[in-house]
Amino acid sequence: MLKYVFRRILQMIPVFLGVTLILFALRIPGLLPGDPVQLIVGERELTPALRAQIEEEHHLNESVPVQYGYYISGILQGDLGRSLQKNRTVTDILLDKFPNTARLAVSAILVEIIIGLMAGIISAVKQYSFWDVVVTLSTSILVSVPVFWLGMLLQMFFGIKIKQWTGGAFSLPMSGMGSPPDLVHLILPSITLASVSTAYVARIMRSQMLEAMGQDYIRTAMAKGLSQRVVVFKHALKNALIPVVTFIGIDLGALMGGAILTESVFSWPGVGREIYLAVMQRDWPVVMGGVVVVVLIVMFVNLLVDISYAVLDPRIRYGGTAE
Amino acid sequence: MGSLLEVTDLKTHFHTRDGVVKAVDGVSFSLAEGQTLAIVGESGSGKSVTALSLMRLIADPPGKIAAGRIMFRDENVLEMSDEQIRSLRGDRIAMIFQDPMTSLNPVFRVGHQIAEALRLHKGMNRKAANARAVEMLELVGIPNAPSRARDYPHQFSGGMRQRGMIAMALACDPDILIADEPTTALDVTIQAQILELMIEMQQRTGAAIIMITHDLGVVADMANDVMVMYAGRQVEYGTTDDVFYRPLHPYTWGLLDSLPRHDISEKGDLCPINGQPPSLIDIPPGCAFHPRCPYAQDVCRTDVPELREIESGHSSACHFSGQPDFTRDVMPCSADMEVE
Amino acid sequence: MSADRHHPDGGDLHTPQGPLDAGGHELQDQPPRTLVPAVPEVSAHPSRTLWGDAWMRLRKNKLAIAGLTWITFIIIVTVSADLWVPQNFAEPTSTEFASMQAPSADHPFGTDRIGRDVFSRVIYGARVSLAVGILAVSISLVIGLALGSLSGYYGGLLDAFVMRTADIFFAFPYTLFAIALLAVLGPSYRNVFIAIGILGWPSIARVLRSSILSVKENEYVDAARAMGASDLRIMLRHIMPNAIAPIIVYGTMSIGGAIITEAALSYLGMGVQPPTPSWGGMLSEAKALMIPAPWLTVWPGFAILTTVLSFVLMGDGLRDALDVKMKD
Repeated sequence: MLKYVFRRILQMIPVFLGVTLILFALRIPGLLPGDPVQLIVGERELTPALRAQIEEEHHLNESVPVQYGYYISGILQGDLGRSLQKNRTVTDILLDKFPNTARLAVSAILVEIIIGLMAGIISAVKQYSFWDVVVTLSTSILVSVPVFWLGMLLQMFFGIKIKQWTGGAFSLPMSGMGSPPDLVHLILPSITLASVSTAYVARIMRSQMLEAMGQDYIRTAMAKGLSQRVVVFKHALKNALIPVVTFIGIDLGALMGGAILTESVFSWPGVGREIYLAVMQRDWPVVMGGVVVVVLIVMFVNLLVDISYAVLDPRIRYGGTAE
Repeated sequence: MGSLLEVTDLKTHFHTRDGVVKAVDGVSFSLAEGQTLAIVGESGSGKSVTALSLMRLIADPPGKIAAGRIMFRDENVLEMSDEQIRSLRGDRIAMIFQDPMTSLNPVFRVGHQIAEALRLHKGMNRKAANARAVEMLELVGIPNAPSRARDYPHQFSGGMRQRGMIAMALACDPDILIADEPTTALDVTIQAQILELMIEMQQRTGAAIIMITHDLGVVADMANDVMVMYAGRQVEYGTTDDVFYRPLHPYTWGLLDSLPRHDISEKGDLCPINGQPPSLIDIPPGCAFHPRCPYAQDVCRTDVPELREIESGHSSACHFSGQPDFTRDVMPCSADMEVE
Repeated sequence: MSADRHHPDGGDLHTPQGPLDAGGHELQDQPPRTLVPAVPEVSAHPSRTLWGDAWMRLRKNKLAIAGLTWITFIIIVTVSADLWVPQNFAEPTSTEFASMQAPSADHPFGTDRIGRDVFSRVIYGARVSLAVGILAVSISLVIGLALGSLSGYYGGLLDAFVMRTADIFFAFPYTLFAIALLAVLGPSYRNVFIAIGILGWPSIARVLRSSILSVKENEYVDAARAMGASDLRIMLRHIMPNAIAPIIVYGTMSIGGAIITEAALSYLGMGVQPPTPSWGGMLSEAKALMIPAPWLTVWPGFAILTTVLSFVLMGDGLRDALDVKMKD
């Protein structure tokens, strides 16, 4: 088990180096259009003195590998530079927004788990039934809906139309978050954010459940005299859940990194929207620093997922004969 | 000795897109307490479906037990409620399967899977059931059983898993153990051990066994009675001695001829049956075996032969069985016969 | 073995190779799957090719055919749009005070903030969406097929390098990576499909690689090699035709994905720039006008949904028809 965790961590290192290398490459002069000093300066006027100062500050006068070294060590020390627009460090800005992103991500994951798992199980247990058709069709539709459009429709319906129909008595908040943060503001954004993944969870759950129910050990369990319910919800479900849990975990990682579209539609003050605003304002340190942090979060959550996978699946937990 | 299990005219059909598959089409047999019946046949002959039908483990849809009677101790299994049949499964009738690698649930401990049946049928608490599970593992010859019970199936070898399956099946001390090719997926050396274990366990528990196999050697060793199946139908049924020494049906002759029997054929020649077993969706008219039968006549192509008792307790489904001049050729195959 | 039984992914072909019994012929019962005995496959068209067979099956899939019909319809409509679309999509209609008119006979989808006909804009928006979808996926395919086939065929260091690079790409959250790329490249119609195309190759490469790995196991590949066929010939004649089915399925679905991504990027202002009509851009403009002009939100989104759904249904249908095993 420890060996397994250790191996997974080792495997992360080249990926981390690759990611930082790509992001770093975006700053190297000549490789991509744009002057890195100009990028840093942004709209300000660039005097030779300022150029020299910036090159000194950002080690741009050093050789490329040395610059990369500075860059990596900065990241490892949590130093992501300063925002050009706000007088704060990138780390501070992101730390400030992260709780909001995490709140939204967790509630979206809850929606995925509750609705996605249920739909998938019902659909598999009652294969070819009316509900199966409903689930199958609606998951196909959900994966085809652009999330931002779904968000807009929800705003239009629950924010505007229902308010009109009920004479202002009932509506759901269309944007932002309450202060202090409350659940009502979370409803529409988390449904929107969860939509596509819920459809995937339902699809994976269904196919895994069907596969599990076709296995020989299910016949063994039936032959033992167990009821249909125990066979399905104990023997089949525990096997079917393993890949689903993996998917949900990976999705949690992705959502923790901020949901640019959903956060933009609902003006949700999270990491994703912050990075997006920084792109629009050409605040490069925030963009690049934000992307690095997001990638690190995703990688970290994926590591946790892999470990929990091993906890769930005894074949991986015990010894290397996995698969 | 009264009959423990009495099956009459069992028919199990599958409704597929391409038509009705008559996997089992009119099979009758009986099994007495503590006896062993072997069901023998080729791939697709319906022997596994027969076994699953006995426990009503046929998936419906597409499968359906279309007709027949399965009397277990004067009760018709086919008329039982779901609850009644469940209380039978694993308790009075237990089953082990061909592939021990996939028949155990990979995410539960072996001990737990054995204890599950005990808790269900014997009302044992967790502790008592687990203790009994360890006992069962010891009984089937798993060394270091107390710690092995806490292992997961992937930590067991193939032979050990099949021992585990036998322990699971016998945990509740069933009256009938159905074994569906229990050794086919195992190494040859392990096969003998498992068969020996089954014989030993039968002597110890007194369970009757229905042994589904293609291995006639196993049949000779274990079975009291033999039923030969072909294309979903019973072609010959009788005591092991009758079927081995006075076989009546040309298909049984073929099966026996294809055994390497140095005591009969000096050269040790093998003599396989020509051709392929038929697709169950497109069973030949008349006798299903006629396209492969070297003795086939016109009547075989048109009329389905009924299973008839030829001698006392020995029946055959061939139009010509029992006719004095209808005998097995000494060596019906020649060198130029195609071996598939 | 007849051609119609030939699996596209060779690895999954189950031939019951039971141990021969003592008599020398196979007596083994096939294990009944799912309590259902193996029913011999009966095909009404015994001599069809793999592709002919797949087409037969696809034709029976109503949803896939609906998708195909819709895609064909959209392509015909957009290609011929110049001939018949009544209003100029870029210019306000001549009527005065035509801004934000509700749908009517003249303007089936209404007009937008500056009085342009939404129906025409949705139709011209389809050009952008389909073009970006197809071009982006073509870029992903070119890169992904090249790297995936080399990786799967030769293995070794090259394989390790390509797959680790793919891992790095997968480490980035997709939308964020696309935005970062466009932030560097600059938002434009061309850069959108380049960015989406670049981001798409790792999945294609992975799918193709694993498909090739399973096909490579087949004996006919060894046979071809033993007969002295060149690597290129083995690849093109023996491996690709059998490994390509998952790519067809995945590629079809990817077009839908690329259309959604383009819409999202244009919605965020990082994609196709006005005045070129794009569905995402139209939704971006509609955001502030949800109360006075809800039709501005409804129709472009509906166009995205139906188009993407068509590709998804087509992909599902192809997957079933080609009998490709894929994780959802």
